[in-house]
Amino acid sequence: MNKEIVLKEPHAFEFSNKSKVTCLVMFLIGVFGFIASLFGDAQRAWQAYLMAFFLVTSISLSSLFFLSLQHLTSAQWSVNIRRLFEALAAFIPYSILFMGILIIGAPEIYKWLDPNLVANDALIAHKAPYLNMTFFIIRSLVFFLGWFFFYKKLTDGSLKQDQTGEDSLIKSLVPYSVFFIMFFALSYSFLSVDLVMSLEPHWFSTIFGIYTFSGSMQAMFAATVLLMLYICKKGWYNGMVTIDHLHDVGKFLFGFTIFWAYIAYSQYMLIWYANIPEETIFFYHRSEGAWAVVSMSLLVFKFIVPFLLLLPRWAKRTPKYIAAVSILIIFTQVLDLFWLIYPNFDEHHVHFAIPEITALIGFFGIYVFSVFSFLSKHSLIPLKDPRIKNSASHEVVY
Amino acid sequence: MSDQNSNNKGGVMGIFLEESQILNAANKTREKGFVDFDAITPYPVHGMEEAVGIKRSWLPWVTFFAGAAGCSAGLWFTWWTSAVSWPINVGGKPMWSLPAFVPIIFELTILFAALATVKTMILANGLPKIDPPVVDLDLTSHKFGLFVSEKDKNYSSSELVSWMKEMGAVEVHEVSEY
Repeated sequence: MNKEIVLKEPHAFEFSNKSKVTCLVMFLIGVFGFIASLFGDAQRAWQAYLMAFFLVTSISLSSLFFLSLQHLTSAQWSVNIRRLFEALAAFIPYSILFMGILIIGAPEIYKWLDPNLVANDALIAHKAPYLNMTFFIIRSLVFFLGWFFFYKKLTDGSLKQDQTGEDSLIKSLVPYSVFFIMFFALSYSFLSVDLVMSLEPHWFSTIFGIYTFSGSMQAMFAATVLLMLYICKKGWYNGMVTIDHLHDVGKFLFGFTIFWAYIAYSQYMLIWYANIPEETIFFYHRSEGAWAVVSMSLLVFKFIVPFLLLLPRWAKRTPKYIAAVSILIIFTQVLDLFWLIYPNFDEHHVHFAIPEITALIGFFGIYVFSVFSFLSKHSLIPLKDPRIKNSASHEVVY
Repeated sequence: MSDQNSNNKGGVMGIFLEESQILNAANKTREKGFVDFDAITPYPVHGMEEAVGIKRSWLPWVTFFAGAAGCSAGLWFTWWTSAVSWPINVGGKPMWSLPAFVPIIFELTILFAALATVKTMILANGLPKIDPPVVDLDLTSHKFGLFVSEKDKNYSSSELVSWMKEMGAVEVHEVSEY
């Protein structure tokens, strides 16, 4: 490396009381909105809850996945932004609680929990060995506790190295990363099936887990960009994270934008071509009236627009610009989940109002709280990692 | 090099042994006002583009427009073959069913973009002509060369020889027309 890098200790992350209060207020708005809509339209309240919960849980898990990929490949460029991925996964411990709450509300939204319907519907009865309350709870327990275990292991090793500086600590994370990736691939697919796909228990798509994964990876990189730029704007990195890191995260954002389109198209094309009623019903419900507009805007705003916007090199190196694209992508991820969940209940009308907005605000508040409180407790970069110098002088060649 | 109509002029090439030296030399040469010069290194050196003053390539634009042309060509071709020239009813679907044609349109986009990029790249940098000339075969393994062309308006061979030595070149070659 030719660039002379002076290692500087980054500023500590300040989670001001004002921001804490803002997060708390947002969370309370979510709680009150949820309780209020429970008395109004209980089913819709749980739909909104599911949408917001699935959004933040997916982003946390994707972040942990990307973190383990960095450990697995011993990547050097990402060492200085590693803490961002650890922080974005910090919601995982909270998610156990919120999953418990979702299980309470499950009978409101999952048709396969209705004994009368199961008795009269041969297809659902056939799936009952998988789709039943006991197995649903067991699966959720295994998945969420498993994720919590890997989250603890992966972050604890990295944080302990901040104190002791032992290089072997990071190497010891490699086996956990390997097993997490294998566990994540299966468990996240099953979670998507359980929480979202089973809303329409007749319908099935074998690519569904990858579909939800691709969208949440895209949203996760958008969240990474925003968090990184927030810290950069405050000047807390002290030059340890540069525009070149932003450029590379931007490339991932761009790559997963294409990946999402690829998976979404693969799912659509096969179902459209085979033309089997049980499968096409999913797209039929989303291709008429207002839902057709939502479907088309997903294509346009989740793929075509961000694709063209992120294509030039300067786009990924212009902070304000890429921040705007990231915000667009997070909104389209919300829209994507809205599109996956809501037409199962009402295929004729699109209602996006108070219950949805308050649920999203509430989960956003608690999510940001988990991320910021993690960052405020630890150093912004893994200071004792021997590779931070290489990471700080990371350069994207053209 | 064997091209007889070549208008390549000669120049001066300094050979350096260290990566830091060549980077430094390239920076100084650019700062001195030279434009027509190049660095030959056995592997990509970080920061060399800035040091030699290489601007961003215009090649991505070729890729973009060739890709757009391929996309339009695919769109038009699938429409013309399946809806105009020889309509075939496949499973009762509309003649021109876009979802079925996306793979073809996509492949044509990639094909046009890739071929046009490679072809334009070869034409633009004049391959197989090698510029600047091969002065020292070690430039492909462990030495670094800085070549200043005669075409540069500040060119003066005697001054350059001492200038290269001053910057730490172990050998300086004067290259005639090639």
